[in-house]
Amino acid sequence: MTTGKTVNLQPPAPDEDKAEARDDDNMSRPATHRKSEVRLGREVQARIGQQLRAMYDDVVSQGVPQHIADLVRRLTDQDDGVA
Amino acid sequence: MTLDPAIRDQVLSTVPSLRAFAISLCGNVDRADDLVQETLLRALAHIDSFQPGTNMPAWLFTILRNLFRSEYRKRRREVEDADGRYADMLKSHPEQPGRVEFGEFRAALAKLPPDQREALILVGASGFSYEDTATICGCAVGTIKSRVNRARTRLADLLAIDGVDDFGPDRATRAVLAGGSRN
Repeated sequence: MTTGKTVNLQPPAPDEDKAEARDDDNMSRPATHRKSEVRLGREVQARIGQQLRAMYDDVVSQGVPQHIADLVRRLTDQDDGVA
Repeated sequence: MTLDPAIRDQVLSTVPSLRAFAISLCGNVDRADDLVQETLLRALAHIDSFQPGTNMPAWLFTILRNLFRSEYRKRRREVEDADGRYADMLKSHPEQPGRVEFGEFRAALAKLPPDQREALILVGASGFSYEDTATICGCAVGTIKSRVNRARTRLADLLAIDGVDDFGPDRATRAVLAGGSRN
């Protein structure tokens, strides 16, 4: 993973993940403390999944906004004289 | 710049999903669209660092996420959807089933820690694998799995899905019965 230093393609700086790393350690707590983390029923998971996708797909179904399509064309088709 | 039309098509076909992800990060349509534009500017300026045949969506999502993160650190989060455009946009789809429920769901989602929300959306809505999600978020696969699990658990609690019954004393039993041998 070495890209130019001007390109922000790298994962975030390590310090950013420190707080969450600590948080993730919670998963190794004794089982008695993990009661609220017990596996969810399949039905509950399915419901959450449906809601999540419905919300997301609502935006996806709007397709590519015109100004973004124009931008991409302008950036990639300069030689073709596309306005 | 002239670009292989196939690559350009891959970029364009990723835009709707990229935009949905951006909105989920920003909670504001205008900012999200700015973020998508900036992502595309960067991506196309550095398209040479994309290896054809690899995962274009994951590449673009990584750039967008990192841009969001660096900006987020500078400005912290602004008032969410201050202009109400996101809400308006949702209202503009009256055929949307269970719209009220939908609003509650969005509110619950907004209460999740950003890392959990982002992991859940990438896996549960964008359809990325745990591996791709880990790459996008720059962390280990196990971290993503635990974030997604905690996000789901928290959401279920916040929404009290299926009402009190599902979360009463029988919950653990029900979960075992319904979940089978799920790990």
